[in-house]
Amino acid sequence: MNTMTLDATGYSEPANPQTVEKKTVDSQTKVGETVGAPFCDNAKLKMRNVNVFYSETQAIHDVSLDIGRNEVVAMIGPSGCGKSTFLRCLNRMNDTIDGCRVEGDFTLDGDPIYGPKVDVVPLRARVGMVFQKPNPFPKSIYENVAYGPKIHGIASRRAELDEIVENSLRRAGLWNEVKDRLDKPGTGLSGGQQQRLCIARAIAVSPEVILMDEPCSALDPIATARIEELIDELRENYTIAIVTHSMQQAARVSQRTAYFHLGHLVEVNDTETVFTNPQHELTEAYITGRFG
Amino acid sequence: MEMHFDQHISRQFNEDLESIKTEMLEMGGMVTRQVADAVEALANADSELAEKVLRIEEEIDRREMAIDEHATLIIAKRQPAASDLRMVMSIIRIARDLERVGDEASKVAKMAIALTDEGTAPRGYTEIRHIANAVRKMLNDALDAYTRFDVRAAMSTLAEDEQVDMDYRSAVREMVTYMMEDPRSISRVMNVLWTLRSLERIGDHAKNICEQVVYLVEGADIRHGHESNLKNA
Amino acid sequence: MTDLTQAQVRERIEQNLAGRHRKEKLFRGLGIASIAFGVFAVLLLFTDIISKGSGAFVQTAVQLEVTYDPAVLGIEEVNEESLTWANFTGVIRQSLRERFPGVSGRSEKRELYSLVSTGAPFTLRDRLQANPALLGQTEKVWFAADDDVDTFLKSLDDSAEGFRGRTSDEMAAWVQTLWDSGELKKRFNTTFFTNGDSREPEQAGIRAALVGSLLTLLVTLALSFPIGVAAAIYLEEYAPKNRWTDLIEVNINNLAAVPSIVFGLLGLAIFINFFELPRSAPLVGGLVLTLMTLPTIIISSRAALKSVPPSIREAAMGMGASRMQVVLHHVLPLAMPGMLTGAIIGMAQALGETAPLLMIGMVAFIVDVPAGITDPATVLPVQIFLWADSPERAFVERTSAAIMVLLSFLIVMNTSAVLLRKKLERRW
Repeated sequence: MNTMTLDATGYSEPANPQTVEKKTVDSQTKVGETVGAPFCDNAKLKMRNVNVFYSETQAIHDVSLDIGRNEVVAMIGPSGCGKSTFLRCLNRMNDTIDGCRVEGDFTLDGDPIYGPKVDVVPLRARVGMVFQKPNPFPKSIYENVAYGPKIHGIASRRAELDEIVENSLRRAGLWNEVKDRLDKPGTGLSGGQQQRLCIARAIAVSPEVILMDEPCSALDPIATARIEELIDELRENYTIAIVTHSMQQAARVSQRTAYFHLGHLVEVNDTETVFTNPQHELTEAYITGRFG
Repeated sequence: MEMHFDQHISRQFNEDLESIKTEMLEMGGMVTRQVADAVEALANADSELAEKVLRIEEEIDRREMAIDEHATLIIAKRQPAASDLRMVMSIIRIARDLERVGDEASKVAKMAIALTDEGTAPRGYTEIRHIANAVRKMLNDALDAYTRFDVRAAMSTLAEDEQVDMDYRSAVREMVTYMMEDPRSISRVMNVLWTLRSLERIGDHAKNICEQVVYLVEGADIRHGHESNLKNA
Repeated sequence: MTDLTQAQVRERIEQNLAGRHRKEKLFRGLGIASIAFGVFAVLLLFTDIISKGSGAFVQTAVQLEVTYDPAVLGIEEVNEESLTWANFTGVIRQSLRERFPGVSGRSEKRELYSLVSTGAPFTLRDRLQANPALLGQTEKVWFAADDDVDTFLKSLDDSAEGFRGRTSDEMAAWVQTLWDSGELKKRFNTTFFTNGDSREPEQAGIRAALVGSLLTLLVTLALSFPIGVAAAIYLEEYAPKNRWTDLIEVNINNLAAVPSIVFGLLGLAIFINFFELPRSAPLVGGLVLTLMTLPTIIISSRAALKSVPPSIREAAMGMGASRMQVVLHHVLPLAMPGMLTGAIIGMAQALGETAPLLMIGMVAFIVDVPAGITDPATVLPVQIFLWADSPERAFVERTSAAIMVLLSFLIVMNTSAVLLRKKLERRW
């Protein structure tokens, strides 16, 4: 590499004293300890020594991470690196998967997330989730947003419910587009609108944390931009953890970025640092598109 | 961290980065040669050679624009990150420095023509030759450090600028003394002063290139006296 | 492999093209042929049954001028008691003798009396009971003709000679006379729909069997749908996937393949012998058919539950809905069309089932329409089986007519399954 031919201008490269040993970065490169700053001072969610197993295979290896209050943390990494698995641990969505075993300490504002005494229903009201594919219920737009408040008994009167629905839709930036057709099915909206409806549905129960699992992977760039804008606005009131395949998206929306590799948390740092000067060579290799 | 720019999944990306780097180094070669020629023309009162330096200047401007355009395309198409991003950014900055070096070389060439017309300056050629050698070496070393991503070489080259500055200041003092002694030679000595000034500027640009080597390899911006950034990184 | 030029490649593709088109056509042709065969078989079945059975909806009637002569009847007044032993048969015989005065001799007379159905006296009794003032009066009454007359008259349409069978020459002559004078007519056979079974074809109807079938199906539906759906929901939504659930699944599939007669034996052993439930009752029939339709309903319900996209479950679960809320609010409404279709198809299967019901005594000769699920009853397919076995020629057309009724019920049920699915099915 870096060999230059002599040219007419007379510039010649001086003899290279040391031969550069060609080193290939690949998935076999040793991972080691998490580099960067996995912990923060005003942590909303604290995860310590998390291990996740699917039957016999280990999907997550000893991951420790904090997610700070009113912070957007992006989780990136190649497919199958465990980022979605890790995200789904945070509101125990993995409970439903047969043979999935989760170890480690998870706390939300100091309250344990796992444990024999923890009821998953109120937990999921505190930690909402938005999925990869927009999945509104095949019911009306109103019913979609009102569902959470109804099952949790948040609103007793119709007027209260109306208000929650309107506020949630407003905060999701969807109110003006759907206010005249609240009784129309949510599945009739466009993909981007459906995803914003799902976000409205999630925030209708006033969660503290919103988990987003590749929320824009099924959307076009314009819908994606609107969701990203929305995420930025939501940060004021919520703590957000987002899994994304788009590194540009992670760079745009998050304050901190966590890079996962084969179930290991390789690096956590300020998003700026990760995208201009990552400290681990695996992170560097991934974000610059060098994986072979 | 070692630098590898030939391991992207996209081979085209490898080639794009390699070719923009080659363009920049070629431009560097041209500029280095231009500086040497300008000093040569001045020393030998060779106005023909000085004219050649001025002609090459246009080519250098074109090259800077080409590098800018290619860098813009890479950013637009590949959205480079981390070392790739630093590579593109440093090349853009170095190309601008090189273009300025070319400007300074042209100024020196113009002085050479002026001195040929007005008659040679009585003094100052020793200083010019001395400083010119120093900054040519700096320029060479800086580009060399860039080619090899050699931070240590860049840092030592960077330190040489101080010596050049000192030499420049003492040369200026000497020229001023001389002008006071012999007011008739003021206009000619002024040309020498301008030349010295240009050479000193070239040294500064070489220093900038060294800083870009550090930025590329370490990701630390040490410009404008922020060397401490490097230690933190 | 050698590299082919683009032209060579194109040439080879061209060469194969004709063969590919030929195979394509053959493949499509085979499909069309199969469908044509199926349609042909169905058409054959329908033409055969309709051509045979349509006659059963028409019944020959004889008009007689009867006199409610108290002397012949042997009663003085009309009341509950006198009606039971009044000699209506005598009245009819007298009327017949008056119509054909030339008839003499025992055997000839017996022949003459058999012109009308043996049910004719009951017709008279009903009339007198409804209107006691008729006592001593004379009126013209239409009676159902005997099945031999009916068969003979209907067969005249097909050939001039007609089907004689047990019909003698004299009888044929009387029929001709009555027909010419307009005292014989063909009318719509309401008896077929209002009566229960009978030994006499002209008095036999499907009402008892139809009601029996409906009661049996009601019991089956009321039991098998909730049980089947509940089992399917548990297996699909709650049960962990392990060896036990695999075993259960295999067993359910096996159960669906068990010959229905085995269920009949099981029903006989358990419900009748052990629990001592009444024999021949729709309750027991429904229980047995429940056992039989359960696997069908469970399997189709599970398929319907499986087809609900997991994203809906995830969405609800992510909102903090409990398992039950996820199922009741989201999964079940989406799976319901599929479940109902499965249930209707299961019911249609049960409606056509015969073998297990034979084992639990629903093959008995039932004249009365069952009033409840514990009354003795029979069902349509069993009725068809019984009639198909009867020697009288008139039962042949009744068998086919009963098949037509059964088939139309099946068609209605299957059509409603399709319509229901279309109406309830929601896209997501």
